[in-house]
Amino acid sequence: MKIPLLCLLFVSALAAAGAAEQKVVVAMMPKAKGNAYFISCKAGADIAAKELGAELLFDGPVDTNAAKQNEIVENWITLGVDVIAVAAENKESLSTALRKAQRQGIKVIAFDSDAAPDARSFFVNQATPEGIANTLADEAARLTGGEGEIAIITATLTASNQREWLKRIEPRLAEKYPRMKVVAVRPSDDLKDRAQSEATALMSAYPDLKLIMAICTPGVPGAAEAVKQAGKAGKVKVMGLGLPNENRRYVKEGVTDCVILWNTGDLGYLTAYTAVKLVTGELKPGATSFKAGSLGEKRVVGDNVLLGEPFIFTRDNSDRFNF
Amino acid sequence: MRRRELAVAGVLAVLLLVLALRAPSFFQGQPLRSLLTREAPVLVMACGMTVVILTRQIDISVGSQFSVCSVAAGLLAAHGWPIGAVIPFAVFLGFFLGAVNGALVAGLGLPSIVVTLATMVTLRQGLNLVQQGEFVNLPDRVQWFGLEQTPGQWSVLAIALAVLAGSAFALHSFAAGRHFYAVGSDAEAARLAGIRPRRVTFAAFAGMGALCGLAAVMNIVQSPQVQPLAGAGLELKAIAAVVVGGVAISGGRGSVWGGAIGLLLLACIPSALTHLRIEAYWEKAIQGGIILLACATEIARPRAKKSPPAKAAAA
Repeated sequence: MKIPLLCLLFVSALAAAGAAEQKVVVAMMPKAKGNAYFISCKAGADIAAKELGAELLFDGPVDTNAAKQNEIVENWITLGVDVIAVAAENKESLSTALRKAQRQGIKVIAFDSDAAPDARSFFVNQATPEGIANTLADEAARLTGGEGEIAIITATLTASNQREWLKRIEPRLAEKYPRMKVVAVRPSDDLKDRAQSEATALMSAYPDLKLIMAICTPGVPGAAEAVKQAGKAGKVKVMGLGLPNENRRYVKEGVTDCVILWNTGDLGYLTAYTAVKLVTGELKPGATSFKAGSLGEKRVVGDNVLLGEPFIFTRDNSDRFNF
Repeated sequence: MRRRELAVAGVLAVLLLVLALRAPSFFQGQPLRSLLTREAPVLVMACGMTVVILTRQIDISVGSQFSVCSVAAGLLAAHGWPIGAVIPFAVFLGFFLGAVNGALVAGLGLPSIVVTLATMVTLRQGLNLVQQGEFVNLPDRVQWFGLEQTPGQWSVLAIALAVLAGSAFALHSFAAGRHFYAVGSDAEAARLAGIRPRRVTFAAFAGMGALCGLAAVMNIVQSPQVQPLAGAGLELKAIAAVVVGGVAISGGRGSVWGGAIGLLLLACIPSALTHLRIEAYWEKAIQGGIILLACATEIARPRAKKSPPAKAAAA
């Protein structure tokens, strides 16, 4: 039983060595491979792989499925890839498989959503809470001229990421834009329809409201529809955290002013660069920065590679993005 | 029963009075009409849920059925189907999903909470698999059935009121309507009286499904995009409305009017809190408190009713 398996491993190792001499094989796993968000990450990773002369394998579950992620990692271990980059659906369960990969000498990094720190060398961090919160606050200030009443729509009042952002948005506004006032924070349960109802009520309860900021992605189109139906487009600005596709219609119509997220293509690009440079030894644990191709010098804080400032999608640039 | 509905209506009246005094902006035309229009699909589902609970069953898969019908209807509309064809399709799809629940509960005699828990999860996950959470973009002619916004909103409200009045009339005035009460009170007695409880139970679930389909269409016409998550939590909203409205969870007692008033009360609370400038943290607590209060009166009632026969038996 053991001998054929060893033979198989040996043969596949030989095959890998023979077929791709010094060609780094990067195996990249999204949470779900059909998802437009991850497809746009792959587009960036493809460019990086080409620049670096690496081979990119891109595979993941069809649906978000933690068990399937483990299975794919197991396959990659057997295949003997050089480096695995994952967006973990379930931190704990995937990390066991990732540790096994590390023991077999395969490098591991995480992107988009982190694995356990001891199960990967680096996490390519798309956005820090400060980065998101500051950009949201600054954009809101820019749109309102730094004064007036604004309201915030969240997913739930208890969701940890929402709280992280809120905790930073309000002090930022108070400190830098003292004439702006957050008059209400309303939950939307991550439902677009509920966000629409909430925004409708906010506008009638606060007639001087100048801006609605939604910090969960379904909240932005929901708020935009409410503003449009109230006939207040332009009078009450809409902005927040969101995906270009879901907001395109409102951004074009001038209801939504901007949505903020990271550039997913850049995230994929940086992930592939991190993966390859880790294998070639140009990026070592403890580094404080490294050169990531056309993105330039990227900061590394601890074991987090930072993508940098969030990206602001507006009427002018959102057509370049399809996710 | 009447007293209970009046009590809920009284609470609603107090809330509205407070709003009238403290925050009259609550009653502005456009926002109030939008609030009611947004709740109209839930009202339709609450009518179906009333019938299911009257028959002493429960359906917790209605949110998932609603989502599946929304996405399917949205995709067909996006493929160029006219809205006139999308509506019957959604209703039929809902009817089919409801009929599956009905067949499992009535035909195989499985407990409805288990059956609908299974279909709730299965439908939700199936939808995730197919749609990956991605929005469905609708063509412009779908919004408000192709009407202007205000007449469109009135049409959605009119459909909901028609379903409410129609189901109230049917439950009250048709023999078939009263069968739901009979089966919910005592299925065995109903059977002896010549009613076929299985058939009645099946009808309750299939009807619930069809109303989910109708509600889904009434919802997708209100914005140009369908979010696959749309129906999440709707089952709780519908059940809560019905229970607050005085429909006994033990079956056989209640009316759709009660469910409608219960829904109105629960639906006004988020908007009322915004207008009264009360922090959102209170919302769930207040809604939960109302439900608890409703259940407490429910528990108090049967005891009072059951005591006379007990005495008779002792004598």
